[in-house]
Amino acid sequence: MTSRKPIDAPSVRALAEYAGLALAPGREAVLAPTLDAWVADAEALSLKMSAPEHWTLAPATIFNHPVDEAGER
Amino acid sequence: MTGMSKELLGLSLAEAARRVKTREVSPVELVTATLERIEAINPKLSAYISVYGEQARQVAHAAETMAAAGHDLGPLHGIPLALKDNIALRGLTTTAGSRILADWKPDQDATVAARLRQAGAIFVGKTNMHEFAWGGTSDNPHYGTVRNPWDVERFPAGSSGGSGAAVAARACYGAIGIDTGGSIRLPSAINGIAGIRPTYGRVSNHGIIPLAWSMDTAGPMARTVEDCAIVFSAIAGHDPKDSSTSRAAVSDYVSGLRLGAEGLRIGIVPDYFFAHLQPPVLKAVRDALDSFVSLGARLVEVDIENIQGNISAQLTIESAEPSTYHQRWLRERPDDYGEDVRSLLEIGEMLLATHYLQAQRYRSLLRQEFLDAFRQVDFFVCPTLPFTATRIGELKVVIENGLEEDMLSAIMQFTGVPSLTGLPSLNVPCGFDDDGLPIGMQLIGRPFDEATLFRAGAAFQGASDFHLQEPDL
Repeated sequence: MTSRKPIDAPSVRALAEYAGLALAPGREAVLAPTLDAWVADAEALSLKMSAPEHWTLAPATIFNHPVDEAGER
Repeated sequence: MTGMSKELLGLSLAEAARRVKTREVSPVELVTATLERIEAINPKLSAYISVYGEQARQVAHAAETMAAAGHDLGPLHGIPLALKDNIALRGLTTTAGSRILADWKPDQDATVAARLRQAGAIFVGKTNMHEFAWGGTSDNPHYGTVRNPWDVERFPAGSSGGSGAAVAARACYGAIGIDTGGSIRLPSAINGIAGIRPTYGRVSNHGIIPLAWSMDTAGPMARTVEDCAIVFSAIAGHDPKDSSTSRAAVSDYVSGLRLGAEGLRIGIVPDYFFAHLQPPVLKAVRDALDSFVSLGARLVEVDIENIQGNISAQLTIESAEPSTYHQRWLRERPDDYGEDVRSLLEIGEMLLATHYLQAQRYRSLLRQEFLDAFRQVDFFVCPTLPFTATRIGELKVVIENGLEEDMLSAIMQFTGVPSLTGLPSLNVPCGFDDDGLPIGMQLIGRPFDEATLFRAGAAFQGASDFHLQEPDL
């Protein structure tokens, strides 16, 4: 997770093609710096969440709200 | 503006509602004054996308007739309110601040709109916003740049920037905003008003154009905490049309407003909540904590071990989910998006599923750490955002040491925490910087414990006058 090369315009082009997204000319260079920064932070978070102490955690895609949750106070 | 109109517009929502009930003021007078105010300020602020002048007047006359006949329509009888323009109103254009939905007319009301109607509210218009709610500046390329009433060269934050500006400018008595990563709390703080993001599932999202399904919430923005509590009481509760809403009982949010802050335990996370702030923001929030202590509350330092990382998780989720919703439009109509939103949607297509799911796993971790901390505290206090209003058009912000930072990451330094954990959070005005720009603090509570936030916020407003200040437009 830590050894990738920086995301540049060609890699954005490749990612867009993989996603089936036709980028207008020149947009790769617009997107690359932000995407590179966000992916670097996302990788750091992924590393944290891959630690053994977090193995049992499930994703919280939507919170459930059973009645007893509010009544636990 | 006549003296009468000025006096009416100076009333809080609570006071206006009381005077309607006692027939000291009529709904027609409130609506007329509000529409005149909108006409005066909207060319300067671009706070509204649509104004329902004729319709609002007709409803006001009907509300007045009902009041004269002794019928009480509810706690919002005759009160002029505004809705963010991503909330559906039957038969009326609902644009979400976009060109793509410029002509869309829903065939039914959003649940929050229907409930406000049932409580007697009168809609005067739909407020401007960041396009599709994906951004924090409300610099809208299709409906005009929303401006801050405290300084029209400054931004109003967002994405509910039009709602924040309209309330602060006395161009409605309250508004409904939608909050995903801070879109109610940020414009509330930057415009010097109160605004609450409810517990996820407390208020229905039915009929609201989504940004990020797992974090979107609807809530009131108003001049005072009491006003927010009154509006919130009308919209909270289970909705069979939204399966993510809770069946938990709805509290009485108004009766506890006079209980004060005595005995409340306030959690602070010193290494995170009071680091990396503009100095006036730090001072204002620290002074607010001193006020709470003088009111009988107690401060408790708490360590949230894994709070670092929340901004990345927020950005990942808030990118991936909108890019999913917009996937088709982004391919068919890319040029109909503003440049910033288009870029964010494109970036969201390039994040990995593992990034998204690790971020969602992080939410579970962070939420549990906060739930554990609530054994020691009743609510947390932190700044709502680390800086005051920047100049319109700026995409970078300087918080300290002259270092420029990306606006989107910086603006969510504190608001991302409740968004990720699903916890309720209330912005309360707590000061002004040297340029007279408002500062807000964020109160974060237990799940479904909005009542304690309203109680604490009302206690603070009982001992301060920041919420009584008005911008000079």
